[in-house]
Amino acid sequence: MIPEIQYIKPTSLNEVLQALANYGNEARLLAGGTDIIPGFHIHSRRFRDVRTLIDISGLPELTTIEEREGALHIGAATTFSSLMRHPLVQKNYPLLARSAAQIGSVQIRNRATVAGNFVNNAPCADSVPPLLVYDARIVVQSKTESKELPLQDFLLKPYRTQLRADEIVEKIILPPLPKGMRGDFYKLGRRRSVAISRITLAVLAHMQDGIIREIRIASGAVTPIGKRFPQLEKMATGQKADSDFLKELAIKLGEEVLNVTGLRWSTAYKLPVLQQTFYQTLKRLCQ
Amino acid sequence: MEKINIQFTVNGQNVSVEVPPNKRLLDVLREDLGLTGTKEGCDVGECGACTVVMNGEAVHSCLVLAPQADGAEIITVEGLAEGETLHPLQKNFLEHGAVQCGFCIPGMLMSSYALLKENPNPDEEEIKEAIAGNLCRCTGYKQIIKAVKVTANPPNHS
Repeated sequence: MIPEIQYIKPTSLNEVLQALANYGNEARLLAGGTDIIPGFHIHSRRFRDVRTLIDISGLPELTTIEEREGALHIGAATTFSSLMRHPLVQKNYPLLARSAAQIGSVQIRNRATVAGNFVNNAPCADSVPPLLVYDARIVVQSKTESKELPLQDFLLKPYRTQLRADEIVEKIILPPLPKGMRGDFYKLGRRRSVAISRITLAVLAHMQDGIIREIRIASGAVTPIGKRFPQLEKMATGQKADSDFLKELAIKLGEEVLNVTGLRWSTAYKLPVLQQTFYQTLKRLCQ
Repeated sequence: MEKINIQFTVNGQNVSVEVPPNKRLLDVLREDLGLTGTKEGCDVGECGACTVVMNGEAVHSCLVLAPQADGAEIITVEGLAEGETLHPLQKNFLEHGAVQCGFCIPGMLMSSYALLKENPNPDEEEIKEAIAGNLCRCTGYKQIIKAVKVTANPPNHS
């Protein structure tokens, strides 16, 4: 059941900020509703105190995608359908387009938004690994403050980010990619659609003559929140990408994940699958 | 809870309703407007029985709050036929055995309708992707996919 709530529909970002300033703690921003409405139905503790919904869906200031000085600025309330279809996303940030295309279903993608996904910050949030390998930054606004920070720093724990009650993510900024980086995104769910991810991988690599010049690795759904692997990336940089080394990297990824999570009920299945799929991804990218 | 007035079009007709803001578009369609073709299945956006076309896009009406439909153009299954004449999708669903219990059908029709509006000639993979958010417990989907394919590519099309 959706609780009794007050509904506010601001017509500008300024009005959103004012509404957040007024209703902060008891309010939630509403865009696609694909997390919050099911959350109400299952009596999720995350939404128990919500008394006011501030509808930001379709706000022009939050749904534009544009290139500025080589970087891509993506409005926070951009739906996954819009994101996956945008020519600049497809061309320059294909891992984001690929992950967007595998979220939910057509109906979900037509409503769910990219910032909604990472602000909700479920362990399996599919937008996170690609955004992390693209070194995404976000702009957060409140009535009193505007700040820009790396997405990596913004995400704290499952279902928890740095977002304060009076704040809104305005946009995501993707810096231009160094030349020569190719990438792959992999999602494993229990089925091919409307599936919560069990494993996601986003990998970018710049290869030259069989040597890994630069590599970026991010996972989702295998640690409490999506994460990059700086140690692994450092270990791989400058190395020859022969099968033995890629196997070593894959084994190491498993070890790093295990270090974070400890032994879980799912480890016996997930760990070898993660290692194997990472190895296959590396082979495709680096050989 | 104060009621809100929302105005939108449904199947080409202007409507105006006073609703509490915690009502969903699904409830407004079924209860306030008597359009019970759209079904309630799971309430959480997983089964697709509630699918309608909103501003040209297939959406789960169980996830759209009524006030979010203000100013929107909604098409429901009731809007497919023209008078007594069935939409080709409806005709082909019936002719190709796609309808068993019928509960998933309005949602399947609306997802298919939205697909064909955007992509008049989809291949089998594209059809499957378009209805991936619609569950059917009866048919095994083959007949539904066939019906959509035949609608897009009628045999003996002159």
